[in-house]
Amino acid sequence: MRVELTEMLWFEEHAVSLSELAELTGLSPGMLEELVASGAIEPIDPASPDPLFGAAALEAARHAHRLSEDFELDTQALPLVLALLERIEGLEQQLRALRAKLPGRIR
Amino acid sequence: MKYKDYYAILGLERGASDEAIKKAYRRLARKYHPDVSKEAGAEEKFKEVAEAYQTLKDADKRSAYDQLGAHSPGQEFQPPPDWQQHWQPSGDDSFSTEGLDLSELFERMRAGRGRGSARMSMPGQDYEIAVPITIAQAYEGTEIDLDLNMPEYDAQGQLRRVPHAFKARIPRGASDGQRLRVPGKGGKGFNGGRNGDLYLNISLRPHALYRASGHDLYLDLPLAPWEAVLGTSVEVPTPGGLVRLTVPRNTQAGRHLRLPRRGLPIPKGGQGDLYAVVLIVVPSVAGEQEAALYRQLAEVSTFDPRAHFSEEGSYAS
Repeated sequence: MRVELTEMLWFEEHAVSLSELAELTGLSPGMLEELVASGAIEPIDPASPDPLFGAAALEAARHAHRLSEDFELDTQALPLVLALLERIEGLEQQLRALRAKLPGRIR
Repeated sequence: MKYKDYYAILGLERGASDEAIKKAYRRLARKYHPDVSKEAGAEEKFKEVAEAYQTLKDADKRSAYDQLGAHSPGQEFQPPPDWQQHWQPSGDDSFSTEGLDLSELFERMRAGRGRGSARMSMPGQDYEIAVPITIAQAYEGTEIDLDLNMPEYDAQGQLRRVPHAFKARIPRGASDGQRLRVPGKGGKGFNGGRNGDLYLNISLRPHALYRASGHDLYLDLPLAPWEAVLGTSVEVPTPGGLVRLTVPRNTQAGRHLRLPRRGLPIPKGGQGDLYAVVLIVVPSVAGEQEAALYRQLAEVSTFDPRAHFSEEGSYAS
């Protein structure tokens, strides 16, 4: 078996077009457009006529694809579920940050 | 191949209605979906449920599955000879059930049914794994050995799990919740389709001393009462080695003393801070002489730590 050393790329360093995003995630361009229109997936510069998408969008789109496949969600329900999941993740992050600040080892 | 009881996995009897299958799947997906569930082993459980549903929701696959007969879960079995004749994708001479597991068998049925499309290019599968690393590894950067069984298309355009072993370099400053993408390192594409990507989700293992928040680290700094009052200078461990920290006079418990740029490195340059969280601790048993000195201190001191209790307006009305 071949063992090679692979360099990791920072997730944040990618910016892709809508069609590339569709190809990367398996979502149809039509569904992606709807998700962008609903604000569930945001381009880096919303004003640009040829919008590019960053890591957060890629993550959200992968998520959206998984959820739509596994729960048969439509473009009405998907943005809601994604927004709630994003909020939970934000809250969990805040919780972790607060926990780090609390003295942990009072004995 | 080993038998899996797709009905039992969904908690159903054989012969359950399509509606019942859908309902059972929805209930279990809600319970075990990794995006929703925090239960241990939920992801594995969900994969089983999804595999069962993929087969049973499709009328063709379901009757093919039913004709395999009922066996006990985990039992070795071979599809009956006429099964293969009946379900073998037409024109696919390479079709063999040997070495396949049950899910791959049905995956092949699907690939086979889409004849004509079999020569089309198909993108490789993305693959996502969790990578827990230590704080020391995040500080220094590290190499990890990955040993993955990735779904991949073989020469016939059929999905197969292929073992892949490689080393991956995790750069310095990978922090909790960080995602790394390795383009093209997922499953191989078929017939010119792009290769899948590999996604790594980094998490930090708990450390005995440090707690991470982003690239900042927090460390408990226990002080004796006299150290907190008189001030002192202490050696504090940091991931980069011991650092001397000046504790100012009259340091209150709960204060955060900042050691700039002693936290985790930030990938694009810079470094997080390390905060020493002050705890004031007392000996569990004070010696006679110590106790006498504290009594003396109690007599001399005019300090009232609860002065605010009696301030106007602080009573409950």
